[in-house]
Amino acid sequence: MLNKSLKIGIVCPYGWDTPGGVQNHVRDLAEFLIAAGHQVSVLAPVIDESAVPDYVVSAGKPLAIPYNGAVARILFGPIAFARVRQWIAGGEFDILHLHEPAIPSISLLACWAAEGPMVGTFHAAAKKQKAIFAIGPILEPVIEKLSARIAVSEAARSTLTEHLETDAVVIPNGIYASRYTNGTPQERWMGNTLGFIGRFEEPRKGLSILMDALPIVARFAPDVRVFVAGPGESDDFIKSIDPQLRGRLEFLGRISEEDKANFLASISLYIAPNTGGESFGIILAEALAGGAAVIASDIPAFDSLLGGGRFGELFSSEDSTDLAKRIIDLLRDDNRRKALARAGKSHAAQFDWDVVAEQIFSIYEMSMVGGTGVRLASENRSWNPLRAREASSAE
Amino acid sequence: MRNILLALLLLLIVLWHLSFSATRLDRLHHRVETSWANLDGLLQRRAAVALEIARSEMSDPATALLLTAAAYQARDADIEFRSAAESGLSGALGLLLTDVGPYENLSERDLLRELSELTDKIRIAIALHVDAVTRTQMVRSKFIFKTFRLAGRAPLPVTYEFEADVL
Repeated sequence: MLNKSLKIGIVCPYGWDTPGGVQNHVRDLAEFLIAAGHQVSVLAPVIDESAVPDYVVSAGKPLAIPYNGAVARILFGPIAFARVRQWIAGGEFDILHLHEPAIPSISLLACWAAEGPMVGTFHAAAKKQKAIFAIGPILEPVIEKLSARIAVSEAARSTLTEHLETDAVVIPNGIYASRYTNGTPQERWMGNTLGFIGRFEEPRKGLSILMDALPIVARFAPDVRVFVAGPGESDDFIKSIDPQLRGRLEFLGRISEEDKANFLASISLYIAPNTGGESFGIILAEALAGGAAVIASDIPAFDSLLGGGRFGELFSSEDSTDLAKRIIDLLRDDNRRKALARAGKSHAAQFDWDVVAEQIFSIYEMSMVGGTGVRLASENRSWNPLRAREASSAE
Repeated sequence: MRNILLALLLLLIVLWHLSFSATRLDRLHHRVETSWANLDGLLQRRAAVALEIARSEMSDPATALLLTAAAYQARDADIEFRSAAESGLSGALGLLLTDVGPYENLSERDLLRELSELTDKIRIAIALHVDAVTRTQMVRSKFIFKTFRLAGRAPLPVTYEFEADVL
């Protein structure tokens, strides 16, 4: 189905050059669609305009704003709105794909400004907030304009249903599964080894829970070692833990994709002790694709990704004793660990970009039925002449 | 004087809100139409595939008869009987697929693959259409939409009842 070349406009709400799941998703999707022969333009806030690929259009510098328990680098305001309108007017897109359009960002602005086939992807999973009663009536008419809504997980979908009373099609986040399936096991990471990948300094990633579980595990498996990969200041973290454990811990820093594949193929168990704030769990999907047996906390996103425990072991979140127990059980039972890894690996195939992009593209096709392309909403209003003058002076 | 100005401003705001709401409803009606057009197109394609399956070697004469009848019914049904007819076709296809063997023939495998792809798409298309319809119904039942008859003479869209489990 990927044969007709389309002009696709994608809006990424978060700063392009800051790390994050949504940005990675947008980048991979854009590159996949370009490789399939489509014309793609991504509008995103950008800090350093000289360092972005040529399919990215800058909407200005992002602002750091506290949102959903973290600092979000997003952008809005009159100047950003003018840029968004300019981008839509000049793009002549067949379809717009807006990411996270329910937060104050250029995605929301684009949804407001545009008319025509639009698809929205909702990434976040959040608990029901009181504030939603106040912002619901503002958001509703805007979100209504989307011809199709995608949620990246069941958790994100139920968030959407609760907050905005609207349903969505679940299409998981994509990974390049083939990058991880053929890793070569490395001697240095083999044995009774536990792996962790991610920004370990963030408390919600839960590395400290694994550290609390480690003394118990060490009593039963004296040669257990933990490898932590990911960006961050490891010295500070090492100081904060028990000196007796330090020898079991090794920080690898940021690792390449190739090393990641080898790493996942070598370790005995991949541990994801996240305490929350995850909507999908891309790293878990990658770990499964890489053939690692996985133990993850039973937060909703991981529970659904691991099929309720069929494709990876779940422990009750923030309970380090339970985690320790499950680590010991699986380290001792080679057969079960290998069976779990095998089941996980075949399960991960459905997250491959080949599958995921095809699903997203079929949503595009459905949204474009009888479509006239994307244009500015204000173009067909009665007071148009007035607005046109205003817009041209703003640009 | 100030009161008059204030009243005028209020009137303007009310008028703006009415115009905004009318645009919003118009957009929703448009969404219902396009999502239905999309669903309709997919269902037509499914009927065509069902006919081809009926003509192919994988269906015995009895199945072929059943499928052909169901496919024609689904194609020709008026809108009010449409969902019943489509469910009938889903049932007939379901019967065929439950005792489907490993088909060696390439064209037959292509047909079955096309059918399963279509089924996936139809499922999504139904979800999109139902969402558009329920949204429209919800908005139209709101106070200002009813009071000012913003829907005009557009008929209230009805939910397309489709038994997703027989698909």
